[in-house]
Amino acid sequence: MFPRPATSSTRAARQDGATPAEPRRLSAGELRRVCLDLLGRPPLAEERARWTDASADAVLEELVASRRFWEQWLDEQLWYFLLVDQFAPRGEGVLRLPDELAAGELDAREAVHRIALAPNFDQRNPGADTFVTVVMEQLCGLQVDKARRELELGKKMYEGAEARFLGGAGRSQSDVVKLAVASDEFARHYIAREHARVAHRAAEPRQLAAWARRFAKEPREYPILVREWLSGASLDERLARRRPLSNRAWARALHVDLMGREPTREELEPMRQALDALADPAPLCGVMARLLLDGGKARIEAPGADRAAWVRARWLEVLGREPRPDELAGVVEAMARPGCRVETVLYALVTSEEAATS
Amino acid sequence: MMDELERTTQARAARVQAARAALDRRALLQGAVAGAGFFAGAAWLGGAARAAQSVAAGGTPQAAAKRRVVLVAFAGGVRTKETFGKPENIPNLKRIADSGVLYTRARSANLGHYGAALSIFNGVAEQRGIRENSRGDQPTVFELARKELGLPASEAWITTAGGAQQVNYSHSLHPDYGARYGATTLDGDGVFNREFKGLLEKHGRPREWPQGEKDALAALRRSISGGGAEAERRIAASERVEQWILSELGRGTAELTGANAADAKALRLARNLVALFKPTLTAVVLQEADMAHGNYGGYVEVVRRNDAAIGELWTAIQSDPELAATTTLVVVPEFGRDRDLNSRRGLDHGDGSDDLHYVTCLCAGPGLRRGLVVKEEVAVVDVAATTCDLVGAKGRGGRKLPQLRA
Repeated sequence: MFPRPATSSTRAARQDGATPAEPRRLSAGELRRVCLDLLGRPPLAEERARWTDASADAVLEELVASRRFWEQWLDEQLWYFLLVDQFAPRGEGVLRLPDELAAGELDAREAVHRIALAPNFDQRNPGADTFVTVVMEQLCGLQVDKARRELELGKKMYEGAEARFLGGAGRSQSDVVKLAVASDEFARHYIAREHARVAHRAAEPRQLAAWARRFAKEPREYPILVREWLSGASLDERLARRRPLSNRAWARALHVDLMGREPTREELEPMRQALDALADPAPLCGVMARLLLDGGKARIEAPGADRAAWVRARWLEVLGREPRPDELAGVVEAMARPGCRVETVLYALVTSEEAATS
Repeated sequence: MMDELERTTQARAARVQAARAALDRRALLQGAVAGAGFFAGAAWLGGAARAAQSVAAGGTPQAAAKRRVVLVAFAGGVRTKETFGKPENIPNLKRIADSGVLYTRARSANLGHYGAALSIFNGVAEQRGIRENSRGDQPTVFELARKELGLPASEAWITTAGGAQQVNYSHSLHPDYGARYGATTLDGDGVFNREFKGLLEKHGRPREWPQGEKDALAALRRSISGGGAEAERRIAASERVEQWILSELGRGTAELTGANAADAKALRLARNLVALFKPTLTAVVLQEADMAHGNYGGYVEVVRRNDAAIGELWTAIQSDPELAATTTLVVVPEFGRDRDLNSRRGLDHGDGSDDLHYVTCLCAGPGLRRGLVVKEEVAVVDVAATTCDLVGAKGRGGRKLPQLRA
């Protein structure tokens, strides 16, 4: 088990009494993990400076209002539908979704609707049987083997025949999508999977039903729900356990940690694609880290006379915690070896198993 | 483009043909020496290759007693009509079938590509979401064989063509098995593509670290991980695969193009892995045939090209005496396709016809019957138990393909 991140936060008062609760604050490690969850990358230097030890509520409010939050949302949706690699959308309609969502011109339900109408969704799921099956499974969370009749009706509609599907009438492929997105099943399934993604746990059925009703009535409440899912005890619960990072989050974190910036799409995609090609990506993580470190483009702060201080700062940045005493002693000792470069330490750090978790 | 391995394989095939009649231990040693020479730069090889080198050096020929399986999931939805129903499309599979056993009525379940292909590896036909990106619950043949036979990670590989989802075939979520017994899994098109190669060229290939730096790195890793034999083993295995990937990038796999490029890469990698590591279990999952939804002609072309690539894989196996004496090849689609063309003049998979539900399964290798056609109904999922049996593992039981052994 990895050590808990160091925390300088003050907890809200939980006892009954008159003392007003102090706001929940995010330590460096907690901030890193919340950013990885919601932005798909660690905080950049200026964000770290602004948000470390800031009120969790204020940080979350700013995060879910950012364009980067919706970029990450889109990334997650495309992954969920496996619209990646050769099936990744190229059209403006999907690519400008983060701008429209951040500007409040569109809500999450409308955005999912647009994704499912994109040509790439059709290419990814060719033919009536595959398309309708995927719509039922992925948009509505239905099991087709238990809803064979609905599947057949959807296939008829897909082929252009008048039919009723998921409680509505239609006669085209786009009607199949429209009816699915408008269904109660969609709201329930969307909220269940988004809650699981953000809070890293399954929702309780009663809570889920209430959230789904709110979302069905007003889909623009989705960012508010995200903030609720990461507040109070839910936030503590989320931060109590580390989770493996996705390969794309790991590759973004590698760039932020070593280059001080996010990767461009051209830099990220080949890395992500290669990492995804292995069930255990560890061997390629080493290659990626060496590419950046040996390529001479990494932004590396040289250690001064106080190596221990340098190690502490890097551990806080990359792992969000102070080094353990034995760890600190071992690393400082290794740094004194003739063959050890600063790059060697950073390589060991960013390719550690702990750095692949959030 | 003929790569170095192809040239070596062909040269080796010529040598072996000449000597086949008088194949004895001496010939086996010569073959092993040739292999060890070709891969002299890969001193970090896994257990199987080390065993072969040990034989060459006069050690115990354990590798010769080993039984191996190469399992090709000819997935993407492939009908018998375009394969054994039209032999001119598949001259290589036909040639292999003539020396093996052909099951012409292998029943499959229409579970979507993912669920159906997964059932080949775990022997359980259960409904999975078409785009479900998570692992199965039942242990795969890799986990069963590795756990029961005590095989290291280098003894089970799977190469795939269908992107991130197929990486899930490596292992299950079963608490008694899982990642520690999984196959080393590689999606060929994900790593061996021009974009990744371009990235390496842009940044420059990682330089070789001097020994002093490697020692420092080992010390750093011990400090960070807290040490332990298991952590050291994982790191060492990871470094071996890292080296293999970097060397494989120089062998032309990234340059493969054409209708079946992703399948061709998966088959090429499997061929190289079989020749290099000589693993107990090597699996390949193809996918490109699914272009049939909108392009019937392209689908037939994929079938033809994949037949040629499987032929090369078979030739590579037969041209190595040790592999030829120990390796069974199994080729099976996960399901077929519809009986009739759709409105786009393509072939979907969802009509419930026999063309969809029955496929042809091929097994060929030492100790198996030759030229036998079995017309009784079998199941595609029987391949899992059969594979375990072929490598000498009991697995979890289950029905095996009948009339297989000579």
